[in-house]
Amino acid sequence: MNIHAYERLWLVASMVLIVGFIVTITYGTVGLGITMVDDREETISPDDVDEDDRFQDPRVEQVGENEFEAYVVSMTFLFQPDPIEIPANNEVTFYVTSRDVIHSFTVVGTNTNTMVIPGEVSAMTVEFDEPGEYGVVCNEYCGPGHHDMEGSLIVHPEDEYSLTELSVDAPDQVGPGEDVELTISIQNGLLEDLETTVDVEVGDETLEQDVTVPGGETEQVSVTVDGDDLEPGDAEWSASVDDEVETGTVTIGDDADDGGDEP
Amino acid sequence: MDDSGISTEISHDEFDPIGTLALIALYFVVLTLMWLFTYFVEFVGNAPTPTVLL
Ligand SMILES: [Cu+2]
Repeated sequence: MNIHAYERLWLVASMVLIVGFIVTITYGTVGLGITMVDDREETISPDDVDEDDRFQDPRVEQVGENEFEAYVVSMTFLFQPDPIEIPANNEVTFYVTSRDVIHSFTVVGTNTNTMVIPGEVSAMTVEFDEPGEYGVVCNEYCGPGHHDMEGSLIVHPEDEYSLTELSVDAPDQVGPGEDVELTISIQNGLLEDLETTVDVEVGDETLEQDVTVPGGETEQVSVTVDGDDLEPGDAEWSASVDDEVETGTVTIGDDADDGGDEP
Repeated sequence: MDDSGISTEISHDEFDPIGTLALIALYFVVLTLMWLFTYFVEFVGNAPTPTVLL
């Protein structure tokens, strides 16, 4: 058979290309450590998502120094939690599962992108260097609301990140001249201790209290506002720790019986 | 032979048009550049990418 020199040249060139393709993919896997999302996670029945420790309360958790895990549930037509808040420059492993049909979890503009299959858990470990807000979309057609299926991922600068949760126990009503006592529970989800200040406002009164919450624990702080300093009537209260704020209203005096049936 | 209009007869391997060679080379360069762009700019540049825990 007579093969022209140019044809032989092209056969060699195409072999070079194929070898080049294989070399770059190998470099990506071995050199850069890029992985594919696979089925190595244990399966989970979509009906049991609510009983699973990870997914019954979709959240972000710190699991080690610079290591976080995000448990995400997707369903028609939303992602939980929304927004997902993570720190920059930390390893975050996303575990994503579906409650109903096939979705995807795609952080727009990044390779953080996986199919989400009911019964399977997709796991991806990524590290975001750039703080900012990223969109999360579903790129598998999943029903009539598919185009509205979106979530968001907020990447906080590492030193501004906290997993603090606040809950406040406050009376709805106190008698005239009685003290108002707020019990503030501060939950610190990070492994590090949280040293912070609780700011409390009741009516025109402001109070401040320093508190240290050990890593992974909840601390209670009681703040009492002297009843003599408060005007009768409805008083707004607020309690804040860092960026978390809780607010409410307390009625001072007995003039707020809802029906007002007594003269 | 004069009647056929053939002035020189060359063998199969002696026919080497420069234009075809240039096209082959250009095509090779285009494919290489597209591959490098797709992988290193569009894919690897879209950080973060899921990686193994090292
Ligand atoms: Cu979807």
